[in-house]
Amino acid sequence: MGSSGPFVRYENVQKSYDGETLVVKNLNLDIAKGEFVTMLGPSGSGKTTCLMMLAGFETATHGDIMLDGKPINNIPPHKRGIGMVFQNYALFPHMTVNENLAFPLSVRKMGKADTEEKVRRALDMVQMGQFGDRRPGQLSGGQQQRVALARALVFEPELVLMDEPLGALDKQLREHMQYEIKHIHESLGVTVVYVTHDQSEALTMSNRIAVFDDGIIQQLADPVTLYEKPENSFVAQFIGENNKLSGTVGAISKGVTTVDLGKHGSIKAAAVNVSKGDKTTVSLRPERIEFSSKKPAASKPSLPAKVLELIYLGDHIRCRLDVAGNDEFIVKVPNSSLSADLKPGVKGHVSWKTEDCRALDFVG
Amino acid sequence: MSSVDQNQTLMTQDGVPLKVSLKRSQRRSKMRAFMLVFPLLAFIFISFIVPIGSLFTRSVDDTLVNEVLPLTFEELKNWDGQDVPGEPMFAAMFMDLKNADKIQIGRVSTRMNYEKSGWKSLLKKTSRKMKNIDGPPYKEQMLKIHKRWGKVEFWQSLTAMKDPYTLGYYLNSVDLKYGYNKSIEQQPEKRQVYNLLWKRTLLVSLLVTVFCLLLGYPVAHLLATLPLSKSNLLMICVLIPFWTSLLVRIVSWMVMLQQEGVVNDTLVAFGLPEEWRLPMMYNFTGTLIVMTQILLPFMILPIYSVMKTIPPSYMRAAQNLGATPTLAFLRVYMPQTLPGIGAGSILVFIVAIGYYITPELVGGKDGRLIGNFIAFHMQNTLNWGLAAAMGVILLAGILILYWLYDKIVGIDNMKMG
Amino acid sequence: MALPIYATTGQKVWHYTYLTICAFVLFFLIAPLIVVIPLSFTSGVFLSFTPEMLSLDPEGFSLKWYKNMLGMCNDPSIKTMCSDKWKTGAINSAIIAVAATALSTGLGTVAAIGLSNPLMPFRKIIMATLISPLIVPLIITASGMFLFYAKVNLIGTYTGLILAHAALGTPFVVITVTATLSGFDRNLVKASQNLGANVFTTFFKVQMPLILPGVISGGLFAFITSFDEVVVVLFMGGPETVTLPRQMWSGIRQEISPTILAAATCLVLISILLLTTLELLRRRNERLRGITH
Ligand SMILES: Nc1ncnc2c1ncn2[C@@H]1O[C@H](COP(=O)(O)OP(=O)(O)OP(=O)(O)O)[C@@H](O)[C@H]1O
Ligand SMILES: [Mg+2]
Repeated sequence: MGSSGPFVRYENVQKSYDGETLVVKNLNLDIAKGEFVTMLGPSGSGKTTCLMMLAGFETATHGDIMLDGKPINNIPPHKRGIGMVFQNYALFPHMTVNENLAFPLSVRKMGKADTEEKVRRALDMVQMGQFGDRRPGQLSGGQQQRVALARALVFEPELVLMDEPLGALDKQLREHMQYEIKHIHESLGVTVVYVTHDQSEALTMSNRIAVFDDGIIQQLADPVTLYEKPENSFVAQFIGENNKLSGTVGAISKGVTTVDLGKHGSIKAAAVNVSKGDKTTVSLRPERIEFSSKKPAASKPSLPAKVLELIYLGDHIRCRLDVAGNDEFIVKVPNSSLSADLKPGVKGHVSWKTEDCRALDFVG
Repeated sequence: MSSVDQNQTLMTQDGVPLKVSLKRSQRRSKMRAFMLVFPLLAFIFISFIVPIGSLFTRSVDDTLVNEVLPLTFEELKNWDGQDVPGEPMFAAMFMDLKNADKIQIGRVSTRMNYEKSGWKSLLKKTSRKMKNIDGPPYKEQMLKIHKRWGKVEFWQSLTAMKDPYTLGYYLNSVDLKYGYNKSIEQQPEKRQVYNLLWKRTLLVSLLVTVFCLLLGYPVAHLLATLPLSKSNLLMICVLIPFWTSLLVRIVSWMVMLQQEGVVNDTLVAFGLPEEWRLPMMYNFTGTLIVMTQILLPFMILPIYSVMKTIPPSYMRAAQNLGATPTLAFLRVYMPQTLPGIGAGSILVFIVAIGYYITPELVGGKDGRLIGNFIAFHMQNTLNWGLAAAMGVILLAGILILYWLYDKIVGIDNMKMG
Repeated sequence: MALPIYATTGQKVWHYTYLTICAFVLFFLIAPLIVVIPLSFTSGVFLSFTPEMLSLDPEGFSLKWYKNMLGMCNDPSIKTMCSDKWKTGAINSAIIAVAATALSTGLGTVAAIGLSNPLMPFRKIIMATLISPLIVPLIITASGMFLFYAKVNLIGTYTGLILAHAALGTPFVVITVTATLSGFDRNLVKASQNLGANVFTTFFKVQMPLILPGVISGGLFAFITSFDEVVVVLFMGGPETVTLPRQMWSGIRQEISPTILAAATCLVLISILLLTTLELLRRRNERLRGITH
């Protein structure tokens, strides 16, 4: 964060539409200038609501939203100067691409020559230069998306909001556009608040990710931390794949605890926000687990396992095992290290490093 | 999304309970929406609803007679209704007539003539010769002016008008009338016209609806199943008449159907003897033909729009399951078009039942409907009460059908063209 | 629609019967209008095709009935009334229809915008009220208006007819504009504000152009309703306010001359023109809509 304080700040923000249920509960979020922050979460978790409050289309029931240190609760949307890319683009169908882009400039009473110049540059930036005279209806989905992006940027806002801008595109185009948006963000240095419920999109694009659920930020961190060190079961489950084992937390020393798995024995795990005697869900990433038919060294945590099924996925093999009563236990084996004795029915052991095994809050 | 505790209500920034402030802002927003609608609502209310309402009041209004003849009706309460009343009644009638001006007497006599014909000339003559009477006793002198004053039926007919409101016009609309002291009785045989008229109106509307359905259904089906470029062309044949002035269509039918018209000329050219020219205009047949053509688009368009939404795969599936095309059509396709049939039929029926222009111009004598009699009483006999009552009955019927239409298709789904 | 090869004889017979019925019905719908047009160019005085016309002899055709309609009365062969009445009628109709359309389109559009607000109270009953002029038979409307407008001295005036016709036209405007608005993407309004436009700019630059086709077609409906209306005019019109349909009505009742056919032909052309305009508007609207879905 810069010395001048955060650029966008949500301070104890609450929002309720009906006066009974809170859609956003006590949101605190600081965003620095030039940052790319993503709000990630399942449908209905309140992401769009947070964005709409920032853009001024909804008012916070409680709390303050500050832009550059000043509260903006009383500024109408059209005076906020925040760019926005809408979920369905919201391009004006009766205007050409050029007219769409010129719209924010003309309402700002910019001169004709300046306007033309800016529109041209914005279109070039998204490689849509030759489509200026078309109507949105004559463009493909990806092209419309680019125009929407150019329109949100053309009046040079310092902050741009994007609400699932790539939701309507196919996978390949989506990946391409992710790259382009990221590129534009870096070259222009604007601050971006991005909403998506696609976790890989969030991981590839963001400086930081706020994982939303139930109107609360479950965890706010950079992509690596989020993936490697999830703070609770929801985040572990929502980001990436995850094996779950249920048990009870034993004594904790130096952040490491022994989790009692009942009749299946016990394992060592990093204790995260749990205390002795709690029920816990232990989380293990499939790619951090090794399977071998021989019992590994006693120093390495391990559990007995039985291979149930192999699924060939090209670069890796997904291997379904029965471990400690969980018959949906997945291990990813790289194609290169596939050994001949990995076959359905084979019995052996799974092992991992203690720090990759995290004892989190219990989920039923 | 968990509910907030009961005892802890949500507050806004400035400490107002959220629900209250939400209600307030919703009310403001509602108010704004309502303010947009208000001008039109007020306009429709004044220029349309109130006039229709004045029809209602007119249909039960009987204040005129009571205002002009107050003493007479006061005195009527003491009369037993058996014999010609005595001197006090004649005195009351005399005073009332003396106090009224000429225009009032004219209006009142017209009104009273509806109850019993003869009143009009009786009052006219009496008021003309009244200046000859200079004092009581009035009975004898009035009897001298006109001997009808001595007929008990005339006095009895007064009792039907004793209240400032009346259902008499409604009774008249269905060939009933008030007898002595507002007892309800049949109109005399020769004055019975309206029951026949209602029946004829219903019959015409029903026949027109059936014809429209029979003619419109195949065309709607053709339009819905042809490829778009061809069906658009044929659709013009449906839409142009729909958009053309009613009078133009009537004129063109007159040109076609009259004795010397195009159809008869053609038939004669093909060998029909001159003297056998078919009478197709200015009668019941003319009304039917012209109304069917005019209302046909109202049937075709709703059925078409329903058929358009039925994917051909249903018919294919049915045939694939072993049904013959006929069976597939009757069991699978037809039932799905029922909403369209219902909407179209009700629409045609509603419009037909209130028709006036067409039967007036092409109906001749036996093709005239209830609408024509409303106009007749409004413009010729000036019996506005009766016209209003017939209008209200008609309107009530239409509103019921309209309600049905709303149940079947919804007002919101009403489409044009 | 083509018959499959395996169709039985019965099916073939039925299929051709069906096509014949359809052809007959379409002919039944359009034929009377078609017949009027050539007849209006007759050089005779009767309403039937003369032998000259049937043999396409130029002698059989003339424009004299059109001249007669326009008040050019120098043709001695015409015995029927010849005056400016048709012209004044057309002018009266146009004045009344334009004023009524302006009134109903303005009020109706604003009301439709209010009605499309999801928070609008009593929507259903208000909608029913606003549409009622369409449902109530004209003869009842005309009677009621006659009784009421007489009390406020509006019988026989332009104002009375304009108000009456505006009431008859509003349902069309309300229906079409509400339908257009129901497909309107509310995100566009948000986008416009987000890009810096205030409420007025947003309304005139974004919302209005998009609902304009709906407004215009509603207006056209209202116009044609007023322009063709005769029942209310019969009840409420006076000698000063004889409209084109009113003129036609009396023409029909007195004696049908080919002059009426000339007027009818003009009206058919006007309605074709309106229909074409509407169709073009509908296409344009669909094209604009193509994107948001
Ligand atoms: N205008 C509104 N009135 C009432 N409730 C609303 C409104 N908008 C959203 N909600 C409710 O608020 C909750 C959060 O909605 P929001 O649109 O913020 O979710 P989201 O995280 O953006 O979901 P998605 O990923 O599906 O877009 C939902 O339960 C939704 O039903
Ligand atoms: Mg959303």
